[in-house]
Amino acid sequence: MAKYILKRIGLALATLLLIIFVLFVLVRIMPGNPFPSERMSAEQIANKRAEMGLDDPILVQFGRYMAGLAHGDFGKGTSLYYGAPIKTVLGACIQNSFKIGGLAILIGTAVGLLLGITAALNKGTFIDGFCTVFSILGVCVPGYVFLIFLQYFFSYKIKVFPYFFDASRFLYSSILPAVSLSLFTMSTVARFTRNEMVEVMDSDYVHLAESKGMYGSTLVLKHILRNALIPIVTVLAPLVVDLLTGALVVEKIYGINGIGKLMVDAIAGEGVDYNYVLALGILYSALYIGIMLVVDILYGILDPRIRVASGKGGDQ
Amino acid sequence: MKNLNRRSFLGAAGGAASLFLAACGGGSSSGSSAGGEAAADGKNLGVMLATNVMSLDTNLATDGDSFEVIADCIDGLMQMDADGAAIPALAETFDVSDDGTVYTFHLRDASWNNGTPVTANDFVFAWRRICELAGEYAYMMDEIGNIKGAAAIIAGEQSDTSTLAVTAVDDKTLQVELEVPVSFFPSLMYFPTFYPINEEFYNSLDDGTYGTSPETFLSCGAFVLSDYLPGTANLTVTKNPGYWDADRVKLAGITYQVVGSSDNALTAFKNGSLDVAVISGQQVADAEADSELSQNLKVTGAGYMWYLSFSQTEKNAQGGMLGNQNLRLAISNSIDRESLVDNYVMDGSLATYTAVPPQFAASATTGEDFSGDQTKFADFIGYRPEEAQAYYEAAKKELGKDAFEFTLIYGNNEGDEVTKVAQAIKEQVEGNLAGVTLNLQGMTKAERLDKMQNDNYDVALTRWGPDYADPMTYLGMWITNNSNNYGFWSNAEYDKLIADCTTGAYISDYDARWQAMYDAETLVMQEAVIAPLYTKANANLISAGAEGIEFHPVALNRVYKNATLA
Repeated sequence: MAKYILKRIGLALATLLLIIFVLFVLVRIMPGNPFPSERMSAEQIANKRAEMGLDDPILVQFGRYMAGLAHGDFGKGTSLYYGAPIKTVLGACIQNSFKIGGLAILIGTAVGLLLGITAALNKGTFIDGFCTVFSILGVCVPGYVFLIFLQYFFSYKIKVFPYFFDASRFLYSSILPAVSLSLFTMSTVARFTRNEMVEVMDSDYVHLAESKGMYGSTLVLKHILRNALIPIVTVLAPLVVDLLTGALVVEKIYGINGIGKLMVDAIAGEGVDYNYVLALGILYSALYIGIMLVVDILYGILDPRIRVASGKGGDQ
Repeated sequence: MKNLNRRSFLGAAGGAASLFLAACGGGSSSGSSAGGEAAADGKNLGVMLATNVMSLDTNLATDGDSFEVIADCIDGLMQMDADGAAIPALAETFDVSDDGTVYTFHLRDASWNNGTPVTANDFVFAWRRICELAGEYAYMMDEIGNIKGAAAIIAGEQSDTSTLAVTAVDDKTLQVELEVPVSFFPSLMYFPTFYPINEEFYNSLDDGTYGTSPETFLSCGAFVLSDYLPGTANLTVTKNPGYWDADRVKLAGITYQVVGSSDNALTAFKNGSLDVAVISGQQVADAEADSELSQNLKVTGAGYMWYLSFSQTEKNAQGGMLGNQNLRLAISNSIDRESLVDNYVMDGSLATYTAVPPQFAASATTGEDFSGDQTKFADFIGYRPEEAQAYYEAAKKELGKDAFEFTLIYGNNEGDEVTKVAQAIKEQVEGNLAGVTLNLQGMTKAERLDKMQNDNYDVALTRWGPDYADPMTYLGMWITNNSNNYGFWSNAEYDKLIADCTTGAYISDYDARWQAMYDAETLVMQEAVIAPLYTKANANLISAGAEGIEFHPVALNRVYKNATLA
């Protein structure tokens, strides 16, 4: 198992390094200007570029960037939050996006699992039909549309939740965006759980377990759900990254300073902020790779056959 | 058996779910929205910001929202009165030398919110740093303020910032030497770029942390920063009890909320979450139609003017076709500006027919708005399809062509109305000038600027906001080789007029300078160097109890020192 995990970590780090390099090059050939000034002279802009080392060969720039990165330094913004170190801004935005995204994952997975299990156990009944319709709706309706509805009803009409996000009352003001964001996860998890469970429930070993007198939550949790979970974990992983990295429109509507909004500001704001685009790109990639790594390891735990197969593959 | 199994499982699961939801809801009963709470106690104003505050460092900030919050918390030597005139703030009085090149400001007793007195050195430190950083607004020090020594430091030719002719004669006396007399110099002093920074406090902080939190920011203004971090969508300032003019400040504080869209701003205002909101487009029409909301609506000048810039170089526009004056006049005269503001912008913006927009620069001797008369160039500009056709025929003859195809670039992240305006211009120009094709290309503002600065465009929909209350903030752009002269137009007569106004014959003769600026503007309009379109307004919704908020088209859009909230 340790060898399996180490190999996966090594691969993940190599992938991340490659991505950082590609991002670094791509950001520099993006259209737009890191100093989108209408008041600075060409000379001043040239001096700024030189200060930032943008005139050096790209490999030299990359080396310098990686050296900074090794010390946790993402640099400073050129057209966003000038002067402030990126890690300060990023830190606050990550916190908000992660907390709200985390809450959304929690709600989405918990309710989704419940719905999926309920539908599977009541296959063919009205409850199953209801869960299916709900799942389809949840996948089709974007989270921000749901948020606008919730915001209108709960914040404008009956005023039980705040109209905008307020970091000082985090949980209270996170409910509406988290619930909105959880809808897609909830529906996806519900749909996959239902389908996988229905399949597993018809398998021979479940019939055998039932005939041996096993029933109730032991049967559902230990034998049916555990085997149904592997494909669910697979679909959940990218959803987790999506939710953690924020949802742009939801963040914009609800006034949340999160990393989704930050990314758009960095690319489509006043100027192209090289350092922010890069820092956020690295963050997204690292998260995605990290989550995939966790999924790989989870597979190993959920299904020992995968671990064994990979282990053997590693020996060859 | 199966039914029983399922029921028992679901019962347990349902119980867990309700416990979870109850736990989430538990926190909710005790709170209320920031704006709602603000409105309830009647003293804390809930104000909408259109964009995030980018920096609270006066030496680095470049956007109106940042300037507004900075000005809440820091005073300049001068401040604006309700009409926008410069009146003393941290400077109790000032003297000007006979030749108009030496200003001596006498500071009043005021202190930072850590108890340190505000001294002349706070200005010396901040102004030297602006020149050293040589950022976006450094040009206010050399090109506009003409402060001796600034240009060399900003250009990177002089590294010794003590060569800047700004001196702390003593703690309470600041002396500034100018290269030439600048008639509007006192009014520059209310612009946040010229605000002070306490050197000792600044040096006590880690690099890059100044102005990034309430702990790393000092106030000497009406409010202190109480809740802020870079990137935040909401921030709060509260009344500064140690402010030198604290008696005047009636608000307990201001809660700012970044709101990304006009419809959201309208709903939040109706909900009571905001006391001051800015709406645009259809929401303005909705508010006007609503008997209650229309009482809250107040249109104020936002200052900046939208215009079409024509690239006149051979590199663009089918080999420099837009270098032809008649063709530019034909395009300018085929645009119905009233229709643009009435049907597409819809926020009270003013159709504009002058190269210097109205309502921001008035003569110091007569009080007359430089561009109050919007018909002064009626011979060159207006919605005049017949004249446009005549110009067009002349252009076709001169250029030997019957058809023209140009691309109009515009920023699709510069406001909801910009794309609509670009589309309307295409329709109007193509409809009035048969044979002209205007292709639209939307892009980010950064990309648009990049294209314009690199002379890689035909026609651009662009804008400029006044940095100071003098027509030169616009007219200075069209001199040969100015970095904002995106059309690369060049006219020796014009260059001389502007030079005479800024450094030459007219600098000490106010009325002659005013007349020369009018002559210069006439040249711009005669040759259709640009096609002015409209001067942007803000359609503000202000709650019934809020009064005394001062709106200005220059420097600071909103000032709250005299504001009250019932």
